[in-house]
Amino acid sequence: MKTEVLDKSIVLCRACDLVVRKRALPTGVRALCPRCHTNLYDTPYCSINGMLALCITALVLYFPANFFPVLEMHFLGSIRTTTIAGGAMAVASQGYWVVGIAVLVAAVIAPGLLILSILTQVLIVKYRLKVPFFRNIYKKLLKQHSLLAQLSMLEIYMISIFVSVFQLSDYTDLYFGIGTFCFTMLFIMVIFMQREYDIEHMWSVLDE
Amino acid sequence: MSKLSRPPQGESLGLTNCPTCKFLCHLEQGNCPRCGQAVQSRDRTSVQKSWALLITAAILLFPANLYPITIMTSQGQVRQDTIFSGINHLVHLDLLPIAIILFTASILVPMLKIFGLALYLTAISYRLPISKRTLMAGFHIIEWIGRWSMLDLFVISITAALINMGQIWDAKPAPAATAFALVILLTQLAAKVLDTRLLWDRLESKDDTN
Repeated sequence: MKTEVLDKSIVLCRACDLVVRKRALPTGVRALCPRCHTNLYDTPYCSINGMLALCITALVLYFPANFFPVLEMHFLGSIRTTTIAGGAMAVASQGYWVVGIAVLVAAVIAPGLLILSILTQVLIVKYRLKVPFFRNIYKKLLKQHSLLAQLSMLEIYMISIFVSVFQLSDYTDLYFGIGTFCFTMLFIMVIFMQREYDIEHMWSVLDE
Repeated sequence: MSKLSRPPQGESLGLTNCPTCKFLCHLEQGNCPRCGQAVQSRDRTSVQKSWALLITAAILLFPANLYPITIMTSQGQVRQDTIFSGINHLVHLDLLPIAIILFTASILVPMLKIFGLALYLTAISYRLPISKRTLMAGFHIIEWIGRWSMLDLFVISITAALINMGQIWDAKPAPAATAFALVILLTQLAAKVLDTRLLWDRLESKDDTN
């Protein structure tokens, strides 16, 4: 009986296992562990319709961002273009497939799967949470979420494009393609998506 | 709370967070009622796993820095650049900001990360008298900044795809690229696999104020 009461009102720090008594928080405030300053919990501000809108926008932008060239190089009259996947393939075809796969996963596959996974989760929460089959899919997706979030590195790719432009602009003329615009927009959408997304809240949907 | 000699840990109450979904579980339950994952209070093998990954990464750091990471051909002249000589080259081209970004991402971060994690693991294994707060703050930084080392690989892949004109002008990756990719991968894994709660179990209050 005593532990039942405990369960509702306390939270354990993920990093140091300290027992902390839960308190109500105003919106937009995070509770930190008093001992090791790890993020403990915050008030959920995740509006499911907003998430859905962000996911669909990101998904629409994903395809042009990956199929149109992100950089165009004009050199001695010839025009070279590259897409994100094209860069990964170029490295892989030289025999450096570890690097190629790392680039492909971090910049193309993981962000794509992340968007699809969040979209599916949102749709299930909105329409099909009561069906056991979809409930199971939902659990499986949530379990994979932190891995996907860790692997997608759109922001780093963004900086890499600018670094490459500065490096090469001494030798040649470089132009941004339409892909760069779509990629930038995709990157902004994903930033907002990850800001709105709260894994603890998504798990707690299952409790109700 | 400061009056207690030992602050309450979840373990002493028979409670723990589910490793997957962070649901508060009773230890005797065995499996998490929400997601079905097996529940255990601490992952005691995580220190060994983390050490193994970290040592591999530390060994790979040598080929990653000593071998060339790119091969540039410019009008028939071939030059091989290691990470450091590439950055040096950028400094001579007056691209100092880019050089600083690349230096941080591809030399400073991997090295600090390996050094920091090694310190962290030593502190758990041998009870070093270092403040736990400092270690934990360092760990949060390490976890967050580690991914930024991918920057160098992205730049290489963009450059290799764009500059591909045979004898006139050509850029290719070189052996260190694979080693460097593995260093990033292994250090990320080493940080992820580690159960940080072990630090707070082993270093008791005599080493540190709470």
